[in-house]
Amino acid sequence: MSQAIQAVETENLSLPPPRKKGNWFWDIIKGSTQAKIGLGVILFFSLLGIFAPWLEPYSVHQQSGAVFCPPSGHHLLGCDDGGIDMLSLLIQGGRISLVVGFCATFVAMVIGGGVGIVAGYFGGGIDTVSMRVTDYFLVIPDVPLMIVLATLFGAKLYIIIFVIGILLWTGTARIIRAEVKSLRERVYVRRATALGSKNSRIIFRHILPQVGPLLIANTVLTIAIAIFDETALSFLGLGDPTAITWGKIIEFAFLRTAVSAGAWWAIVPAGICVALVIMGCYWLGQSIEDALNPRLKVAHLSPRTFRLRPLVGEGKDAL
Amino acid sequence: MRGADYIIKKAAFAIATIFVAITLNFILFRLLPGTAVTGLSRVPHATPALRHALEVEFGLDKPMWQQYVIYLENLFKGNWGISFANQQPVWDNLKTDLWNTIPMVLLGTVVAILVGIATGIISAWRRGTKLDQVSTNTAIAFYAFPTQWLALVILILFASYLPSHGMENDFLLNPTPWQHFKDVMSHMLLPSLTIALTLYGEYTLIVRSAMLETLGEDYVLTARAKGLPQRTIVRRYALRNAMLPTTTLIALSLGYIVAGAILVEDVFSWPGIGLAVVDSVAARDYPMLQGAFLVLTISVVFFNFIADLLYFRLDPRIKE
Amino acid sequence: MSLLEVRDIHVWFDLPEGHQLHAVQGVSFDLDPGERMGLVGESGCGKTTTILAVMGLLPANATLAGEVRLDGENILEGGEDTVREHRWKDISMIFQGAMNALNPVKTIGQQIVEPMELHGVAEGNAAKIAAGELLELVGIPAKAAERYPHEFSGGMRQRAAIAMALACQPKVLLADEPTTALDVMVQAQILELLVGLAQDLGLALILVTHDLPVVAQVCDRASVMYAGKIIETGPMEELFHNPRHPYTRLLFAATPDLYGEEEVLSIPGAPPRLDRDIVGCPFQPRCDSAFDRCAVELPELKSVGIGHDAACHLNDLVGATTGGGGAVG
Repeated sequence: MSQAIQAVETENLSLPPPRKKGNWFWDIIKGSTQAKIGLGVILFFSLLGIFAPWLEPYSVHQQSGAVFCPPSGHHLLGCDDGGIDMLSLLIQGGRISLVVGFCATFVAMVIGGGVGIVAGYFGGGIDTVSMRVTDYFLVIPDVPLMIVLATLFGAKLYIIIFVIGILLWTGTARIIRAEVKSLRERVYVRRATALGSKNSRIIFRHILPQVGPLLIANTVLTIAIAIFDETALSFLGLGDPTAITWGKIIEFAFLRTAVSAGAWWAIVPAGICVALVIMGCYWLGQSIEDALNPRLKVAHLSPRTFRLRPLVGEGKDAL
Repeated sequence: MRGADYIIKKAAFAIATIFVAITLNFILFRLLPGTAVTGLSRVPHATPALRHALEVEFGLDKPMWQQYVIYLENLFKGNWGISFANQQPVWDNLKTDLWNTIPMVLLGTVVAILVGIATGIISAWRRGTKLDQVSTNTAIAFYAFPTQWLALVILILFASYLPSHGMENDFLLNPTPWQHFKDVMSHMLLPSLTIALTLYGEYTLIVRSAMLETLGEDYVLTARAKGLPQRTIVRRYALRNAMLPTTTLIALSLGYIVAGAILVEDVFSWPGIGLAVVDSVAARDYPMLQGAFLVLTISVVFFNFIADLLYFRLDPRIKE
Repeated sequence: MSLLEVRDIHVWFDLPEGHQLHAVQGVSFDLDPGERMGLVGESGCGKTTTILAVMGLLPANATLAGEVRLDGENILEGGEDTVREHRWKDISMIFQGAMNALNPVKTIGQQIVEPMELHGVAEGNAAKIAAGELLELVGIPAKAAERYPHEFSGGMRQRAAIAMALACQPKVLLADEPTTALDVMVQAQILELLVGLAQDLGLALILVTHDLPVVAQVCDRASVMYAGKIIETGPMEELFHNPRHPYTRLLFAATPDLYGEEEVLSIPGAPPRLDRDIVGCPFQPRCDSAFDRCAVELPELKSVGIGHDAACHLNDLVGATTGGGGAVG
């Protein structure tokens, strides 16, 4: 290759990339409206869930209004078929919906992250086998398999969490593995290996910090899917009958003829809550992902074109 | 032939995946304590003699691997068991169910793909404008709405204008083929609409993302340098290349389509595979549940393979 | 009147929060048929933006001022719409990485025929035959027209890109770092090809590069850009042996032997930021010969020899200037 006079620094691939500052997360939040809104929504519903017992206007186990009573001053969102206050049900439901979502995602993240890092780092047989398995389960449709598992194993909350988590890890594994594979090829990792560092040390010191942000972005997006899946399972009667979730609220409304009674308040708000949380997760997760992999390309084609500035007079002072 | 290796590899993978699903079925429904004997031979009102005959037929007295072989043989012979609910062969039930599901889901999916592509292109083209923001956030919203909830809302809104229960009007006596067709179509509108709305959002986002990628590629600059008109560049360069990742990602959404079908058929009582899953869960009709799961999986694997073929056709870079 | 007259081109790019980056600051040059001119400088000096501006290939966040006269007519007059008519027909371009500059899903032949049919140069079968001939001209078998870009090696792809650029028989060919991504042997071949085409077809060539041996092999003269301005322009001989700007001197003197040991030399410091006004000479902070006038007054491009101009206050010092014309435009 010919000589090139370089006055700009080239990326020195033999050094580790600058360690992401602890507040990289907050920098992303501060830099993006989308991230702010997403985080805000998730925090709002999380707080709602945590403080549920103190926020519910009425008990969710006792009738406090007429059957299917419409929204009013007493019951802001009306009552369900048992005369129970909808607003209280929603607040209570949010608590368990989010718990299921977070826990299932945690399971998926731990398994998926673990498999991804091991497969990407060690390569070889482990990689081939685990990727084959992931491929099969990426194709086999999730929800039917979840339905089968939930039907066979029964409907307890922890089973539902496990069932969802056990099918969601494959997506995470694939993404993490790809990232780890490329990180492994970086000179500084190879040098560490050559110097005889233990694998576990390399993984924890070099790989994990780099993969961390990506894992977090993926986790947030997975929470959205987990919540969606929980509402689907609940709707089909496979949720824990003793736990109130937004999915269950929709299921009860459907089964107990809220539709024919015209009681839209028993159906609509629950779905909106789910949608808001999912949207919040999407916005936040997507913002993190965009910040990690910025799309640097300028569009070479766009509806507007470059502007022309007429030269006024002669000489450069005119401009 | 170009890409013979590729096609064979993809076909082999498809077959292997089906086998994994079949084996999974076998493990889950047979090996688990309690479901083995009770599950398969628990045909209601069965006499001990019938029970015994079934045990022999399914080889429940033989070692596990032999049971597996018998299981496979039965599958291939079309003997998928008897439904507990209606005492009919599972395979016959499923055939009808599948036949009912496909047009409804296909209609919704095709509309979703077309609308998704159109909105995705427009959003990418007008990136950053209010139009883009509204379009993208609407897409996210519909993607976020739980499918069953969307179905219920549509039910509430349109129940007085369009049929919303089942696939046909039971009171329509001796309809002509045309009348029957119209009847089915009118029943299909709401469920298909729901499928379309629940799916299109994801496709908008996929296409938008792919277009933003390709619009920044150097070959678009080259095309502009050649003096090509904008529309031609968008079509022949940006969109054509964006179709590659789009095909792959749409294929990955097949599982989502299945979930949607199950939920939509439940709400609208559409007599398809989805409703079969729902009913068999409620009735603990294990043979039907197994069969439905298998049919759904095979469908997804099949369409995934089709998507692989389509990708092969679109991308000349695939040689092996 | 020259074939191509570029006058006082300025390009600004919009930055967030209302600022602008003044990427090209009053660039002018002339080009005659058959002339091979180099445009050299470090990354970020504005050379690529300059030639993109010549064809109006700027993005939507750019503002352009100046004139580009082709056979006397200012093709930038009406913006994108007027300049589009001249694209490929009068001026065409080859880019740095032919890998990404060619549409991966169309064959090479299709991509050569495309502008022919667009600009009415040829159609159908005649166009296909003409495309084959162009490929032969650049050293690729005509049958290769049925192949896709990914089936070619880097060097072959660049040749195909050249064939494509010649499809409508343009008068001017702009080459943006055409050989940077190729290995040495292939580089030499491509450059030879460009020189030959310029000579045989009377093509005017502008070669943009940061790679001086490349310029030396191909061009008769070159303009050196720094911080968006041309700071010296002249025949290659002069730039090598009699540079009249410290930057040029450092640049050319530091070029090692082509076959010698690889060494990346750098001029200490970095180019100035272009999002704010610069007082005095932009090179002054890094210059080894700067004196007090340099920090306060911007040097203008003045003649220092026949066809040789430089923008440096040193040339005003007693005994430094030479007479003669050869000023630009």
